[in-house]
Amino acid sequence: MNNLKSRLLVIGALILASLWALFPRTVVERVKRDGVFVTDTVRRVPLRRGLDLQGGMHLTLEVDESKGAIANKNDAVERALTVVRNRIDELGVSEPIVQKAGEDRILVELPGVDDPARAQAVVQKAAFLEFQITDKTQALERSLGKLDAVAAQRLPALAARTPATAGGAVAATTTPAGSTGASGGLGGLLTPGGDTAAKKTVADSAARAGKRTVAAGTSAGRDSARRDSATDTAAKLPTTKGAFSKAIISGRGPGEYVLTEADYLKLQPLLDLPEVQAAMPPGKVLRWGADTLVQGGQVYRTLYALDSRPIITGEYLTDARPASDPTEGNTVQFTLSREGGRRFQTETARHIKDFMAVVLDQRVITAPVIESAIGTNGQIRLGGGSLQAAQDLAIVLKAGALPVPLRVAETREVGPSLGRDSINKGIAAGVVAVLVVVVIMIAYYRFSGVLAVGGLALYVLYTLATLAGFNATLTLPGLAGFVLSIGIAVDANVLIFERIREELDTSKSVRTAIDEGFRHALPAIVDSNVSTALTALVLYSFGTGPVRGFAVTLLAGIAASMVTAIFVVRTFYLLWLSRARAPRALSI
Amino acid sequence: MLRIFHDTHYDFIKWWRAMAIATATFIIVGMGATLLRGGLRYSIDFTGGTLMQLAFQQKPDVAQLRAALDAGGVRDAEITQFGSDREFTVRAQDENASAGASTHGAESVARRVRDVLAQRFGASAFTVVRTEAVGPRVGSELRRGAIIAILVSFALTLIYLWFRFEWRFGLAAVIATAHDIFTTIAFIGLMHLEVSLTVIAAILTVIGYSLNDTIIIFDRVRENLRKHRGMPLYDLVNLSVNETLPRSVLTHATTLGATLALLLFAGEVIRPFAWVMAFGIFTGTFSSIYVASAILIWIERRYPRPAVDARRAPAARPAVRPDRTLAAS
Repeated sequence: MNNLKSRLLVIGALILASLWALFPRTVVERVKRDGVFVTDTVRRVPLRRGLDLQGGMHLTLEVDESKGAIANKNDAVERALTVVRNRIDELGVSEPIVQKAGEDRILVELPGVDDPARAQAVVQKAAFLEFQITDKTQALERSLGKLDAVAAQRLPALAARTPATAGGAVAATTTPAGSTGASGGLGGLLTPGGDTAAKKTVADSAARAGKRTVAAGTSAGRDSARRDSATDTAAKLPTTKGAFSKAIISGRGPGEYVLTEADYLKLQPLLDLPEVQAAMPPGKVLRWGADTLVQGGQVYRTLYALDSRPIITGEYLTDARPASDPTEGNTVQFTLSREGGRRFQTETARHIKDFMAVVLDQRVITAPVIESAIGTNGQIRLGGGSLQAAQDLAIVLKAGALPVPLRVAETREVGPSLGRDSINKGIAAGVVAVLVVVVIMIAYYRFSGVLAVGGLALYVLYTLATLAGFNATLTLPGLAGFVLSIGIAVDANVLIFERIREELDTSKSVRTAIDEGFRHALPAIVDSNVSTALTALVLYSFGTGPVRGFAVTLLAGIAASMVTAIFVVRTFYLLWLSRARAPRALSI
Repeated sequence: MLRIFHDTHYDFIKWWRAMAIATATFIIVGMGATLLRGGLRYSIDFTGGTLMQLAFQQKPDVAQLRAALDAGGVRDAEITQFGSDREFTVRAQDENASAGASTHGAESVARRVRDVLAQRFGASAFTVVRTEAVGPRVGSELRRGAIIAILVSFALTLIYLWFRFEWRFGLAAVIATAHDIFTTIAFIGLMHLEVSLTVIAAILTVIGYSLNDTIIIFDRVRENLRKHRGMPLYDLVNLSVNETLPRSVLTHATTLGATLALLLFAGEVIRPFAWVMAFGIFTGTFSSIYVASAILIWIERRYPRPAVDARRAPAARPAVRPDRTLAAS
């Protein structure tokens, strides 16, 4: 009896754990709204759907060695990974996956991406690093009037319209001296307006624009929802008059300004308009800082006014490494090439006590003050920054300095409608499969069949919970594997029931027959499941993407089916036996 | 109590010769037909290339479609209707693939197809539902990966069964599994199914399923070896197959039910998978009896087990056993 109680407790606990694992929860994620990226909280069931089920894009990038071998490939890929990840973050895709695959591949998964060409361009382009001196001439302050005028004119229109990417030709106004044409064109990639630049690099025409409308059309439902909320926020803004002058607060150094996140979201699309850049005095540009800054519960963004001509570009950077020093604190030490060192020497000598912005892909990573003329070796002191921060900066600098050319080795895109369709059909197939199995089991085994069906219900619950618990991704083959496993899941029950029947044939008592049935069926169940699990493991280790998802589902199903058939159904029997004292016959 | 195939005494193994001829014929015919057609149809997962699934607003003229693609420089594209009559897949090889230098790699063909069709039919006339583009190197790696996966799963099975049973069981099971792979490939060739990653997953599932079935029977054989000492293996295997028959029938019924549900309701993309699985249920069952069991008996004749019983029996046993062995022979 006690035994039965503890069994029931275990089952109850498993059910609770499963429900907890499957309970919808609030997730914080970055989403793209009206062309800008905001942090949003969303309720969702913790079962990740693969790209083939929700629509999106899968990219495999590989190191392009066609233009010469890369010496330290592993290291190079590691650095490329950081750049790609940063850029993907900029795309504002929710739950992106960027990981290394094999020794020279990077795997990128972008759920719900509606402009694959742009995503691809952003991911593929070489990172671009510039050192620019911050503006000392109050250029921004002098231009505020003009900027406010532009804002007053454009903000209402922007709010009413959709993605700010429609902002027209932006083109990096900063074609850096000495940089190659290719990297010059990359300038605008990361800011949303840079889309245009990205498109230019892939050399495209009107046909592309037409196609983009089509792509937007397929996801219209979801987009319009976002759009509505975006329009709402825009409508709530009191006035657009003096938008810039109101928002901008002076920062700690020359040319550095601070804005609240809300103002950033509002003004960010504006900044890339050609009018805005034109409003600035010649030779000056505005750039956003890469990081947010939290102070007193408020989130701030930094905005920099910079001399548009970079004093040096990442081409000349040969190395960057973090260092820790008792007197200096954490620093990043960098080495420049000989030519770069010469240039840097003269430029930094002219700009002592000025602030130098480290700009990666048009975002200001940091803006330290120049303390002395720097030759080929320099260091950036991070003040109170942690060693981790130094490491990150070093990685970013190196990544910017040594871009590994990447080539797209594989792309898979699935439209959202196909994904939804696949899910619906998969669920339909699953329901039918369950019905078929239920009918067969109950028709054949009667009461025991009902117990098995009860076990099957728990099997479905446990399997899904296991998948959620391991954060597995449900793919289309995975869904098929799950449906198939429903048919296979009852095999253990069938084996046990047949054994019980055999035992009953030798006119054993019901209780003994059940005990013996379970005992005799066990080796066959274990052996057959273990061998299936072995194939699933092989599939997992050699498979990619969808096939892996299939293997995971298969494994979760095997585990769940053994638990339900051996433990849960046994408990059901024990429960039944405890109710009916010394039953004469068993319906099986 | 509803019972089917209860307490049967069919002499299954008797037919092994006929079955061997039948299955060999099937494999030869299937493989022959596949070869005549120019080999298996591999998906772009393995060959590299581009596949696009397009959904048109209105039923397009396939000839026009082809003409537009040809004119747009997408040559030798394979256009197939997929699902409804408004949906098509376009499959094309990347001509520059061998050069490998194109920065945009595998994606460029997809872009060209899109642009060409947008020009010809208008951008709103169709939507691209799915695009897959695989570079040649990835393709060849995936192909190698699939073969390695199958071989490794063989090795693991052999080791596991050796450990749990005996080498002869393991060997018989692996040969039966190899047989399943050949029949499945023949089936894929006959059905003209496209071999994709999903189909490889299906083949591996078939392997798992077939093994499952074989192991259930072998487990019974192992048990009966202990229970009916001295019974000739031929009879013993027959007995075991008969005893497990009700289970086989029922499990195959439920699995086939689930597979048919997939085949009928899960949509076009999963259909090849479901076909292979459906076939796999039959070949898996067949091979458990006519390949695995038959080979087990064959191995037994060739290499009689020295003293199966002695191996498992306590050391004291042999002293009593001689007369028993005599009686049995």
